[in-house]
Amino acid sequence: MRGSLGRANPLALVALAVLGMVAAVAVRDLVTGLVLVAMMVVAGTIALPRHSGPAWRWIVILLAAGSTGWSTWLVGEHDLSIAATAALRVSVLALPGVALAPLVDPANLADQLAQRLKLPARGVVAVGAALQRIDLMAETWHQLVRARRARGAGPGRGPVSKIGHIVSVTFALLVATMRQASAMAVAMDARGFATAQRRTWAELAPWSRGDSIWVALGVAHAVIGHGLWVMA
Amino acid sequence: MSVGIRLSGLSWHPYGRATPVLADVDLVIGDGERVGIVGPSGAGKSTLLHAMAGVLGDTQPGDLSGTVERAGRVGLVLQDPASATVADRIGRDVAFGPENIGLPREQIWQRVRTSLDRVQLRHDLSRPTSALSGGERQRLALAGMLALEPRVMLLDEATSMLDADHAAQVRAAVLDAVADRRTTLVVVDHHIGEWLAHLDRVILLSADGGLTEVTDPAQLVADHATALTAAGVWLPGVAAPEPVPAPAGLVAPDSAGPTLQVDELGIDLVSRRLRGATRTVAVDGLSLTIPSGALTALTGPSGAGKSTVLAALAGLLSTTRGTITGTAEPLSQLGSVDLAGTAGWVPQTAEHGFVTTSVRDEVRFTSARLGRPVAVDEVLEHLRLSQVADANPYRISGGEQRRLALAAALAHRPGLVAADEPTVGQDRHTWAAVAGWLRSAAVGGATVIAATHDDGLTAMADLEHGLERP
Repeated sequence: MRGSLGRANPLALVALAVLGMVAAVAVRDLVTGLVLVAMMVVAGTIALPRHSGPAWRWIVILLAAGSTGWSTWLVGEHDLSIAATAALRVSVLALPGVALAPLVDPANLADQLAQRLKLPARGVVAVGAALQRIDLMAETWHQLVRARRARGAGPGRGPVSKIGHIVSVTFALLVATMRQASAMAVAMDARGFATAQRRTWAELAPWSRGDSIWVALGVAHAVIGHGLWVMA
Repeated sequence: MSVGIRLSGLSWHPYGRATPVLADVDLVIGDGERVGIVGPSGAGKSTLLHAMAGVLGDTQPGDLSGTVERAGRVGLVLQDPASATVADRIGRDVAFGPENIGLPREQIWQRVRTSLDRVQLRHDLSRPTSALSGGERQRLALAGMLALEPRVMLLDEATSMLDADHAAQVRAAVLDAVADRRTTLVVVDHHIGEWLAHLDRVILLSADGGLTEVTDPAQLVADHATALTAAGVWLPGVAAPEPVPAPAGLVAPDSAGPTLQVDELGIDLVSRRLRGATRTVAVDGLSLTIPSGALTALTGPSGAGKSTVLAALAGLLSTTRGTITGTAEPLSQLGSVDLAGTAGWVPQTAEHGFVTTSVRDEVRFTSARLGRPVAVDEVLEHLRLSQVADANPYRISGGEQRRLALAAALAHRPGLVAADEPTVGQDRHTWAAVAGWLRSAAVGGATVIAATHDDGLTAMADLEHGLERP
């Protein structure tokens, strides 16, 4: 059980993220929100592997929940329970996706999409290849930032200048990524991708009992949420 | 002799170009033959290979006519190994080709293992591709091609980004794969010399698209050295070109550059990925002195941290341990404009340095920020960029981009010059212009540092510091 999400099928992980959104719809009162978030926290504490993804992603959740709660408190006549409910709803919505995204292996996901869901091979392979290039994008980003800094085009102190800098680097990254993508398309076609009629897959796309259990738990979580809402 | 590749009346005219790149090309390459293609930059060598591989027009629209006949499956390896990586683990990456041709699973893995063995890449199959060095990645790309068991192997500058040892490894793996004389080999390489002894024939491609055949490769240098050297092609036995000195007014700093003292320098790089951050030691315990008024070469195998040390010296990376002294304030703590006033950095990929939309603005940009005068027209004239002065920096040739990247980074005459692999993959003309600029800046008093695996550039440096993998 401990760390078992690290071994889960990427399709099961995607299903859990979607079920989180379904459950979030049911968060209309404090009790439902608290129960659903507590269930997620318990499941995550037990089943998420250690060091699975960057720690800062939890701050994203806190920021999202905090800002939603705060703005609700301001417009909702300073009612603490309404504000807290709004914050909990955002948490239920975002927690599974944020927690599970780093566990999805691009190649594994592509295998599952193609072999289990029978999606068209060309699109699936292209998505898998693109996902594994995110690391390369980070490297390109560093190079672009360094070149701008060395040329006196780095960001100044003000927020406007900083935002302008990010826009400029982002645009350059877009251009660089498109160039790399077209070089990659040639490289892929040169390895038989252009003429692939009947593609095979080097690895299996297994679905285990553990995966079924996780999806069932996700469904149960959403059902409990909606049950509590109906009873309230 | 049966046919390996036959091009008949092949023409290729990309949209937006005044003249076709290939015009009515007829060429027959025999089954099992080994052919080299030689010619100046922009003559269409890569285009010819892409036409043979059947990938022309995939990413660039244009008019393609004529026919290409192939003996069987074709495999192509490109210059930039990073663009050829399609999977996040090496086993799965090599399996990509066999998957595309529909092989059953057991055969796929058999081919993966054989191919990796042939290029001597003996890592675990689940090793992440992102953890490979440049040389290893190029061998991975080669293994991916070998796994297809192609009848025709096409190499497009497949060794030009590699240092001498890695290039020799890749060549040996290729020659081993074609040793049976049943596989056709076509090679495009800036440095054709190392291949020459193994080739049956050389085809010369001229700038106007004409083809000349050299049936005895051993005669290539004797018969064509003058014309090819004038066209910028590197040939074995022909000395490196003389660096073209730049006028002092364009490159010499107003006051001498700093003498940098590096003590026990250590840098850890943290790469943040979707799956979490990993910390690697890029450099450790490095001590050296870099004098002003001299050209210092930072050398060492790929993965030794050349680029990392260079970026730290230019104030673009913070040190984790140790110190870099010699400037009034640590460069890494200066604001962008103050840093630019002291240091200039030429990135390894020329395009990454561009911040404007015209060649002329690019040369002017940093000087304008600093309020320094710059003789834009003279800089463009010296680097033979005048005819593209108003063009978009992204739309000029590779050699032109390399020269522009140099001018863009250094036209404001900084006292500290840091250049990352400034000469790699360039023809003789661009090489001479780049090497000459760096040399002249050093003579004019600047502290010039180049991270390089180019022996020619190292040979003309005043000092060489070899780095080792930490």
